[in-house]
Amino acid sequence: MNPRKDLLTISSLSDEDIHTILDSASAMKDIFTKSVKKVPALKGKSVLTLFYEPSTRTRSSFEVAAHRLSADVTTFTVSTSSVVKGESVHDTIDTLMSMKMDYIIVRHKNSGIPAVIARHCKAAVINAGDGAHAHPSQAFLDAFTIREKYGTVAGKRVVIIGDILHSRVARSTSVILQRLGAKVAYMGPGPLVPPEKHTGIPRFTNWESVFEWKPDVIYLLRVQNERIDTPFFPAQDYHQAFGVTGERLRRIDDLDLAIMHPGPVNRGVELCDDALEYRNSLICNQVENGIAARMSILYHLTPQTPVHE
Amino acid sequence: MPTIEQPAMNQALDAWAEQLIGYAAQLPPGKLALVGLIRRGDILARRLSEKLRAAGCPALCGALDISLYRDDWSMKSSKPALHSSYLPFSTDDMYLVIIDDVINTGRTIRAALNALFEYGRPAGVRLECLVDRGGRQLPIHPDYTAFTLDSPDVEDVVVHLSEEDGTDSISY
Amino acid sequence: MNNLYITNATDPAGRQVDCRMGRSTGDVTFAPAGSISAPAGARIIDGTGKLLLPAFFDLHAHIEQPGRSKRESVTRAGQAALNGGVWGMLVMPSPGFMFDNYATLDSFRDAVSQRALAEMYAAGCISVGMNGEQQAPYNTMAARGVSVLTDAGAMPSSTLMLYRAMKYVAELGLTLAVRGDVPELTRNTCMHPGTTSYMLGLHGTPPCAEEIGIETVLRLARDAGAKVHIQTVSTAESVRIIRRAKAAGQAVTAEVALHHLLYTHECLGDYDTNFKTLPPLREEQDCAALIEGIKDGTIDCIVSDHTPCTPFSKKQDFISAPAGMVALDTFLPAIYTYLVKPGKLTWPEVVRACSENPCRIADPREPEYDAPMQAPLMLFDPRETYTVSEEHLSCGTLNTPLLGTELCGRVTLPLQ
Repeated sequence: MNPRKDLLTISSLSDEDIHTILDSASAMKDIFTKSVKKVPALKGKSVLTLFYEPSTRTRSSFEVAAHRLSADVTTFTVSTSSVVKGESVHDTIDTLMSMKMDYIIVRHKNSGIPAVIARHCKAAVINAGDGAHAHPSQAFLDAFTIREKYGTVAGKRVVIIGDILHSRVARSTSVILQRLGAKVAYMGPGPLVPPEKHTGIPRFTNWESVFEWKPDVIYLLRVQNERIDTPFFPAQDYHQAFGVTGERLRRIDDLDLAIMHPGPVNRGVELCDDALEYRNSLICNQVENGIAARMSILYHLTPQTPVHE
Repeated sequence: MPTIEQPAMNQALDAWAEQLIGYAAQLPPGKLALVGLIRRGDILARRLSEKLRAAGCPALCGALDISLYRDDWSMKSSKPALHSSYLPFSTDDMYLVIIDDVINTGRTIRAALNALFEYGRPAGVRLECLVDRGGRQLPIHPDYTAFTLDSPDVEDVVVHLSEEDGTDSISY
Repeated sequence: MNNLYITNATDPAGRQVDCRMGRSTGDVTFAPAGSISAPAGARIIDGTGKLLLPAFFDLHAHIEQPGRSKRESVTRAGQAALNGGVWGMLVMPSPGFMFDNYATLDSFRDAVSQRALAEMYAAGCISVGMNGEQQAPYNTMAARGVSVLTDAGAMPSSTLMLYRAMKYVAELGLTLAVRGDVPELTRNTCMHPGTTSYMLGLHGTPPCAEEIGIETVLRLARDAGAKVHIQTVSTAESVRIIRRAKAAGQAVTAEVALHHLLYTHECLGDYDTNFKTLPPLREEQDCAALIEGIKDGTIDCIVSDHTPCTPFSKKQDFISAPAGMVALDTFLPAIYTYLVKPGKLTWPEVVRACSENPCRIADPREPEYDAPMQAPLMLFDPRETYTVSEEHLSCGTLNTPLLGTELCGRVTLPLQ
């Protein structure tokens, strides 16, 4: 893989980059089964997590990944109340550059912030989610999980269901799956699914058309009401209209489809309780694979920070 | 560039296997395991274990990717894709033989020893290589080498194996 | 101004002309080339290969520079205007130039008379502090030469306030300049909705917000009997709405910002904040409809919507960065390079949209008593080319996508 400082989007990667990171993720996963779940690959390197949006899962997944590569992890706590627009991001970058960090893992509510940070510092910047733009590490773990389940991603049909408009997961995961040869469709409430002419992805607004499309994987997005200031759709009947109800779960089971979700699941909204116990649910695999994928990403990036030769 | 090709390569491997059989005879039965370093050491290890089995002296065989244990990658601009290590046996109380294609500085072997010891506590470890090209930077010395090309004239050694490269040869 | 004699220049209609200029702006005589002779003592300029055009008037410029004094803002904007073939401009109110009281207007007039190289007229606020609540003192402002009122390219959020303002200023003969918008529909948006906004994860500004806003303004103005000027029209449907209103005889004029003729939303690429504008850059078909609107007279003026932004502010992420680009320095060369040279607009159309119409709309004088505002002449040499660099941007900031690109044409203004 060519030297690459940052991981900001999937689109910026070559096919070779994508395959290399996925292949290495498999090897990373082997480490989990050893008695010593740690390798010295990033010994002495400093990794900083800079989250402007609350997140427990992604942040700890990155932290575990960094620890297993023997890196030192620092958590930079950004009090959301003190954040006024983008100004503080610039000030923060100056501070971080003085701290000589090698890797910065950043999440922010504004699309494009990681790119701004990446341009301004020598550290390798990993986008852990920016606004409705991109979430590349999620895309890698999703692709890895599907590849692990079916042996290949090529030719698989994945329908992503929920609030596509505000979803960085949908944007990044759809790109990586398409690059690996899968077919992707979107389904959700009308106002939350952008038109096909903007996305190039088939657009459905009900389950019947989803089943007719014959998917292999049902990928449910989290309903993020906290991120939406003005209601886009009637919230009460989301589960009935777009969730996996008991009845739909039986149909999914009959057709032997897999279920994925980036977590955390809103029980009774995206998924009924039984769906969490479903034999073909890959949700726990996603969490485990997230660590392997993030280890592989950390391993393959090349910070431009000075190295003692 | 001078080149060593077949049948010289195969003859060298036969001699190497002979030597391993001699080593195995000193060990308790079933305690010998070959650990090839990816990418090419593992191929050599597989070939040697075939020869051992044919000679009625079976040995366990595994492969080890040591990329994550190297101490020089942070200076490199890019890293190769990782390969899965494959050690389908417990290394505890085993006599391990690290098999690699070329030994130069010794840093790869240092990394391999670190990696190996995270799998358990072997009874003993040996190092055997196809080519020793000198240039050691660490106090590490192979117990056996098929070819020694330790001369200041040798600038680079390239090993090709048919499984990976379509042909068997050593150019230097 | 000295006596000047320009020989063998080309006028907007493409005729070869000689021109004799006296000491005042109005004292100009044109004649077919070679038919008149230079007066004794006149300085002679060879106009061969150059165009002799009336200089431009820009109806929409923001000149305040964050972190710089008002005087410096005025000086820099004046120099930038002359570079771009603009002799006069209507200055939008801004926090530092809050034209809602006589004191600010007077101090601005002073700064302009001492410092400005180009003419500058203040556009008065519609509401006090541009907060959309209380009407500004229109009589006071009119007495100080204000003829156009605007809340700086925004549509007041209160329809009632706007409606009452319209009724009031209709009596004073002032023009209300408003940009069509429905703020509720455009909140938290920063670009045109489409493939690019989807890819970048930025929320789209629906074109219908502008169109509904324009329809609302037109309907209110018709009822109130007020003259309105629609600012920075950006969509094809907006052009159609204004065309219908004009056909129905309504007193409405309209402008388009130059960048809406040159660029589309796809230019944003990887979050290039230089392309962040308000309203946002639209689609190819909108650019075409806007140019068509200029040709058929639906759109009266091309404006710069010149907006200096500090390098820091534009280095922020796309959502946090302010909207706007600087355009005065490069105004005429960009119009020539991207619109006249490729044949999208003719010189007479450009002169109408950049000089005649804006002068008429901004003119603070009463036509019955005074001679109308008259633009001085400038020479434009279309054969010269240059790569836009920092030294060509007198405006003081570098927020233009033209930086580093090649433009054709050199402006000589003022002629002396």
